[in-house]
Amino acid sequence: MVKKSTTKTADEKLLVGIDLGTSRSAISADNKKKEWIESYVGWPKDFISRRVIGKPVLIGEEAVKHRLSLDMYRPLQNGVIKEGTARDEEAVQEMIRHLVELVKTEKGSKIRAVIGVPAESFKVNKIALRKAVSEFAEALFVVSEPFAVAYGVEALDNAMVIDIGAGTMDFCIMHGTIPSEEDQRTVITAGDYIDEQLFTFLKERYPDADFTMNMVHRFKEEHSFVGDIENEIKVEIPVNGKSTSHTITAEMKRACESILPAMVESTLELIAKFDPEYQDAIRTNILLAGGGSQIKGIGSYLEKALGEYGPSKVNIVGDPLFCGADGALELAREMPEEYWTEL
Amino acid sequence: MRMMKPERRCPNTGKKNEILYGIYEENRKLSGTSPQRKRPLLPKYNKSKSYGTFMVLLALFFVLVPAFPDLQHQQVTASSTFSNERILFIPWSEIIYGRQIDNNHIQLSSLLIAKEPQLEVSFDARNLLNYDFLFKNEYARIGNIFGLDIQTIVIDPGHGGKDPGAVGSILGAVEKDIVLDIGLQLRDLLVKSGRFKVLLTRETDQYVSLADRVDFANSNKADLFISLHINALSQKDYNVTETFYFGPPSNTYTLHLAEQENRGSKVLIEDFNNMIKKIGDVLKEQESATLAATIQHSLFANLVKYDRIIADNGTKIAPFVVLLGVDAPSVLVEVSCISKNEEEVNLNDPDYREKVSVSIEKGIINYLTQRDIQIAIGDENGKKKYNKNGRREVTGRY
Repeated sequence: MVKKSTTKTADEKLLVGIDLGTSRSAISADNKKKEWIESYVGWPKDFISRRVIGKPVLIGEEAVKHRLSLDMYRPLQNGVIKEGTARDEEAVQEMIRHLVELVKTEKGSKIRAVIGVPAESFKVNKIALRKAVSEFAEALFVVSEPFAVAYGVEALDNAMVIDIGAGTMDFCIMHGTIPSEEDQRTVITAGDYIDEQLFTFLKERYPDADFTMNMVHRFKEEHSFVGDIENEIKVEIPVNGKSTSHTITAEMKRACESILPAMVESTLELIAKFDPEYQDAIRTNILLAGGGSQIKGIGSYLEKALGEYGPSKVNIVGDPLFCGADGALELAREMPEEYWTEL
Repeated sequence: MRMMKPERRCPNTGKKNEILYGIYEENRKLSGTSPQRKRPLLPKYNKSKSYGTFMVLLALFFVLVPAFPDLQHQQVTASSTFSNERILFIPWSEIIYGRQIDNNHIQLSSLLIAKEPQLEVSFDARNLLNYDFLFKNEYARIGNIFGLDIQTIVIDPGHGGKDPGAVGSILGAVEKDIVLDIGLQLRDLLVKSGRFKVLLTRETDQYVSLADRVDFANSNKADLFISLHINALSQKDYNVTETFYFGPPSNTYTLHLAEQENRGSKVLIEDFNNMIKKIGDVLKEQESATLAATIQHSLFANLVKYDRIIADNGTKIAPFVVLLGVDAPSVLVEVSCISKNEEEVNLNDPDYREKVSVSIEKGIINYLTQRDIQIAIGDENGKKKYNKNGRREVTGRY
């Protein structure tokens, strides 16, 4: 039978779990370090910006800050590495390099990595991803993101993970084995879609207000909700250069709720396809992960919608930012030694 | 709803081990470290059992085959490959008609190739010019009669950009990348001969609409147009190779044409134009059919070395937009089926793709050099014609 990896090996090699997200990427290492970055990579546009910035490449927050002098890449934007754009593959490499450097303590220590990627990317870019990462790791495993989450919280049997990310919303049914393609589904109405909707709704209601997508994104991060809330949401948006208070409650509700039909429908469809004897078990063990799980009221909304089909219970992961990376690290820890060496 | 970790449902380490092994297996396949890479998913069979099954099925085979003379060739191809008894469980009807069940466009094509109504006419503009023999005699190829030469070949790697085409299930190999690589290699091979100008509808991973592909071919005055695709079937165990070519115009169109031709007793300018167009259509169809046959022959001869149970679906007539729109003789090659796991591994291998390119090139060169090849045309049932020896008539001299 399979042997567990020994502590000795864990001492020699640095085990890391990486969650490569469309909007944010996180890393968890077994030296207890945890870091996250915005999933942006930027290269200086020309030699002038190269001199101003003083670095060949910027990553994460830093890249966002200097975005005007950079060619910006968000390599997993729609949940997949865009094929044929070498820069996107390079961007994935740079992101991983950066993440690994953030947690690495000694120079030259060997990295063993488990990387969780959006389900769609897992389907389409497996080979490209392996190639991109192989440079930094002695050995690596690529798994789908919702699966890494499920593994992390040990929701391995009769459970369903819904990972609401920026680019995609991934669904994955766990039934005690590695999920197949039929157990997974991806829809592209997720966090970014909410931003776009909110932007449009606000432009309609306040045509004079001057705001950017980035501001809209911030409003969402702070105030997103579905269902009903007690207090009105008010934000400051400049009008003709003067900061003015705007009420955006109705628009926020409409934008956030725009992802619900696809979510409920996909959940129901996936459950309906599953063995009828276990459908109740899955419906009562649903786990929301990803940034979108932080939308106020989304869990209870789903619970109520599913309640019409039978008993249902929806939980939300404790730490949406790191649950993927933690799950991947857990996998790395439990992966038998011979599996590492044979790859 | 609670904001906490869910109950730990899986204390069973056996289950975890199974999952870890699953991840290992999946990643091992991707990294290509497996010694059994060629056939990763075939289960092992009990030899003594399979021998018994084999004998029973062999007997059945001899009883049943005479009843289906049309299928004889397929059967013979497969019967030479008893290394794995799985092949004997493939229902022949599904091999032959698999695509028809699978793809709407094939069903459409069978409509199109249904016999067109023979119109009884008292006066036919054709009588004036007496070019009937061009249509009736399949050996008198218009291309030969007019001594037409091939200068520009346009290769059309299917899909691209936002349209990935078929995607394999184990490696995630994508049709658009595979056909682009085959297309680029094919171009290099053809250019080397120094005889032709070779153009690609796309040289990178970009999305090109069907209309743009057609325009590209026409505006560059293509003499031959070869569209490259990879197939995917819902029956994942089957692998087929087939080549399509531009078929006769749809019935409505033909009827319309006939109506115009038969109108009045004088030859109108319009009628004359139609006749000219018809000569063009026949030329295109004849040339396309020949090209399809040579490519298909060469391709199958090569692929069967790698997958002994691959089915040769021959050449078929189909109304693909690219084939209909391009003025030049045009074919659409469905190299093989990425839906079969072993074939996906093959297609992912650069050496294999090179072999595919070489065999398509060989088909094109054969077409250009062997102008007396016979043409095999699929009838409305998708069956193929066979000569007395049970050989497909598509066979030329190579």
